[in-house]
Amino acid sequence: MASVAAAKVQEVREITRIERIGAHSHIRGLGLDDSLEPRHVSQGMVGQLSARRAAGVVLEMIKEGKIAGRAILLAGQPGTGKTAIAMGIAQALGPDTPFTSMAGSEIYSLEFSKTEALTQAIRKSIGVRIKEETEIIEGEVVEIQVERPATGVGTKVGKLTLKTTEMETIYDLGNKMIESLMKEKVKAGDVITIDKATGKISRLGRSFTRARDYDATGPQTRFVQCPEGELQKRKEVVHTVTVHEVDVINSRTHGFLALFSGDTGEIKAEVREQINSKVAEWREEGKAEIVPGVLFIDEVHMLDIECFSFLNRALENEMAPVVIMATNRGITRIRGTNYKSPHGIPIDLLDRMIIVSTSPYQEKELKEILKIRCEEEDCEMTDDALTVLTRIALETSLRYAIQLITTASLVSRKRKSTEVDIDDVKRVYSLFLDENRSAQFLKEYQDEFMFNELEDESMEVSAG
Amino acid sequence: MAKSVGIIYLGLLEDPKKSLKHLSEVEKLGEEILVDRQEIVALDKRRNHNREALRALKNGAGSKTWMAVGSLLIKLPQEQASKALEKDQMHLDVEINKLRSNLKVKVNALQDMEHKDPIPGLTLQPMTHKEMRTIKSAMGISS
Repeated sequence: MASVAAAKVQEVREITRIERIGAHSHIRGLGLDDSLEPRHVSQGMVGQLSARRAAGVVLEMIKEGKIAGRAILLAGQPGTGKTAIAMGIAQALGPDTPFTSMAGSEIYSLEFSKTEALTQAIRKSIGVRIKEETEIIEGEVVEIQVERPATGVGTKVGKLTLKTTEMETIYDLGNKMIESLMKEKVKAGDVITIDKATGKISRLGRSFTRARDYDATGPQTRFVQCPEGELQKRKEVVHTVTVHEVDVINSRTHGFLALFSGDTGEIKAEVREQINSKVAEWREEGKAEIVPGVLFIDEVHMLDIECFSFLNRALENEMAPVVIMATNRGITRIRGTNYKSPHGIPIDLLDRMIIVSTSPYQEKELKEILKIRCEEEDCEMTDDALTVLTRIALETSLRYAIQLITTASLVSRKRKSTEVDIDDVKRVYSLFLDENRSAQFLKEYQDEFMFNELEDESMEVSAG
Repeated sequence: MAKSVGIIYLGLLEDPKKSLKHLSEVEKLGEEILVDRQEIVALDKRRNHNREALRALKNGAGSKTWMAVGSLLIKLPQEQASKALEKDQMHLDVEINKLRSNLKVKVNALQDMEHKDPIPGLTLQPMTHKEMRTIKSAMGISS
């Protein structure tokens, strides 16, 4: 019985993590060549050549740290790849540059004020690069000898032989080291590191040369190469933390659990000032470098006038990140005012921005995108079905057509086929309405829906 | 960035003498880095041998001991031998540290010669242990 349970536990452990497939999960970069010319289809990007080129120029400037504290606006109709370009920039910047992505409406929450949410987002986009240095002894254990006193109790003494590919040496061990070696269950053939400052021993794994010592090994055994070079090494690790993370360490009063629950609450202005001066001090001592990152605000027209003036001022700060915004609005009312402005953004802020516009996709490009999405969603599709889907995308919207990919593939799987055919696409097209058809339906049958007219509703209330 | 690199290489091709000089400089610096790394390994080897010898002297009995200096065996008073070894240890520590910090400068210089970006954070001063501990706890890394 117990063995069955154990086997089950093992099974659970072996399931690989299933990655969620997001709308832009196929994007790996901006798809530019070395001279910043956009390739037609590359890294998941299709078309939008001029916008991608512009984004490439922006990217180079970000990398060289030249446009910190400025803003870029991606403007274009819905479904023209604004978010895709922002994701492409994020991917191309690499993991070392902080990239924060948020939607404009995220700032409206009950826990934070709007400016607090914006400040946190901005500070999440500023990286501080720091270095950790440890002296370690790293080597493969050749032999451990422990001499116990005849009485069984009392201090033990021992010898530890370590080697690298270049050298071998013997260390005399005291009681404490012997105990921690035993605690880590270090045996001959293990590769270990010993931290010189703390004496902490960690096991990296078993050496490859000792892989055939036993016929049966547990599944957790990790095999590593015998270390090269000197035994006593200096290990340097460079970390990039965001200023927000440093804020959080100092603002929390009750243990460090606050960080993991994500509920950090508002951070006091004094704490932020202290952190700013600490970071400045580190910079002067040569202990830290500032890495200006990127803050991406999608649906930026959702911000109101207060946020815009706050951003205006925040951009002037010396540690400000590059702010990329995206909007699909034309000339519209600025939230919180009665004034109309292009993209729903005040003119003075608009004046500080570099505006990159995206244009609707052509039929050929739509087909390419759908093809890429089919691959991303592990779905085989016949050419005819793809052509039909492209037409649907052209007549309704690209997003709707992308939704149909997975649904159609599920329908095809139901009839035990490995490929999606025209019929499957037709079937899901009839099952799921697009925006236009849904609106049409509502117009036709609006009398039969509830609360379709305000007068009716008020009458009912008075009657009840 | 990328374009300027292309232009430089084009210039190198037009002037073979200059390009040869550039390449030999790159090779020379690369060689130096490899030699330095080898040197560090050799010094650390000696450091470990010295440490073993000091241990042995401390445990061993007798007032005089044999010591190998190069290919010569000398009989020395134990105290004098351990003093010499300790001096050598100090010297080795200094030497290794010097090589390590010079290595960083050389690696970045090589990156520059090959038209690559400098390695991020290579020249930073390290954080103290205490500072690192708090930062690590915030990043969710144990130890």
